[in-house]
Amino acid sequence: MTTLDIALPQMVVLYGLCLLPWLLLWLIGLRLSRDVIIGIIRMSIQLALVGFYLKTLFAANDPLLNTLWILVMIIIADFSILQRAGLKTRYFIWSTLIAISVSTVFSAMYLVILVIQPNNFYDAHYVIPLVGMILGNCLQGNVIALERFYSSLHKNESEYMTFLLLGATRWEAVRPYYQAAIKAAISPTLAGMSTMGLVSLPGMMTGQILGGNEPWLAVKYQIAIMICIFTSTTLACIINLKLSLQNAFNNYDILKADVIKFKAK
Amino acid sequence: MSAIIRFDKVSIGVGDKKILSNVSFTLNSGEKAVLCGLSGSGKSTVLKAILGLQSISQGAIYFHQVRLSSSNIAEIRHQTAYIGQEPLLAADNVHDALLLPFQFKSHRANTPSNEQIHNILAQLNLNPDILNQQSSHLSGGEKQRIALARGFLLGKKIFLLDEVTSALDSENKLALYNILDNQELTILSVAHDRDWIDRCQSVLELESGQLIRISQRDNT
Repeated sequence: MTTLDIALPQMVVLYGLCLLPWLLLWLIGLRLSRDVIIGIIRMSIQLALVGFYLKTLFAANDPLLNTLWILVMIIIADFSILQRAGLKTRYFIWSTLIAISVSTVFSAMYLVILVIQPNNFYDAHYVIPLVGMILGNCLQGNVIALERFYSSLHKNESEYMTFLLLGATRWEAVRPYYQAAIKAAISPTLAGMSTMGLVSLPGMMTGQILGGNEPWLAVKYQIAIMICIFTSTTLACIINLKLSLQNAFNNYDILKADVIKFKAK
Repeated sequence: MSAIIRFDKVSIGVGDKKILSNVSFTLNSGEKAVLCGLSGSGKSTVLKAILGLQSISQGAIYFHQVRLSSSNIAEIRHQTAYIGQEPLLAADNVHDALLLPFQFKSHRANTPSNEQIHNILAQLNLNPDILNQQSSHLSGGEKQRIALARGFLLGKKIFLLDEVTSALDSENKLALYNILDNQELTILSVAHDRDWIDRCQSVLELESGQLIRISQRDNT
């Protein structure tokens, strides 16, 4: 079975479907027309560009080009994480970069080299989409971990200071917030794994089935990607928060006043 | 008597505002000193600066003759008990609050026995039933005495006290004075309580961040 193409007129029909939510939003008084239009245009342009790049990458299948593409994805993810977590880039740029690079590359390479075992471990058909999926989920987890950790530390500054004054080391004093932040970051992945297949068919599996693969093969790939996402998200959040402690505090273990962009206790 | 804490021309500022200007004094071993002055004169800032919670813009603080820095701040905090006006017990109930510091590696080996806990509560005129009470249900004065009890259980000899007698009645004040009068304790306090001020050997008067007078007397 081959996947049926969607021709241009049908794409126009597809965009027409957006008129329904747009109309409903307008009827309930939400003036989101601009946001809806911008969202749809951005998505279309970004995916069109990705389609173009992927076609080039797959055609070249060059390890250097693949590495470069992964590097670009990681750097964009790094900035995106810090922006969405509301943290000052200069304090966290390296810790986040190291954490997501190590965890994503480790998980993806583990999957490709030890599990999938293609002829070339750098095969763009496997490496690029897998790294993309792992990184995307890793990004969300790290946003939650960093935002939760630093906002709760800021909010509970008196409690943190009390721990310090009672003889806790910096690590001992931040540990309750650290554990809570990691838990919050991995909870969506854990919940997703628990309900997977019951509530919805996951994206990767749907894609494979639509692409003509056997459901059983799609299931195996879905399990593989979920395990990698869970591993890389956990690994990245643990490494990221731990490394970030080096720059976020002054020499007296006090949280620097300007690490958080927007403060609200 | 050896100097425990020494301020050498310490100035502290936040932005353009000066909170402390050129403050110098020495607190000797076993001495009880009190900082007096109007609200906003910088009294609490003096206590916080000793614990590294307030950055110093000029001058230096010495602890056991060693300049306060990142390398000895952990030791200063280890030896010193700070009791603020509204101390945070940081645990659900009083029993857990008293044992909280013993979860940390630096104190783990010295976890007190129930007998030691009951003894210290008795000295502070606190009923042992308080151990089961929720921390959030305690009055300000009770919280301060529990925080003090925690300091004593940790074997601290240096106390930085911020208005610890203000919320107490005369009976409880007396119990507190008796326990604080110990010669082994070195105390730097902030207080408006006349009785406590009269018991201290040194009175440091602050005005708009400046130390305008130091009165010494022999209460021994």
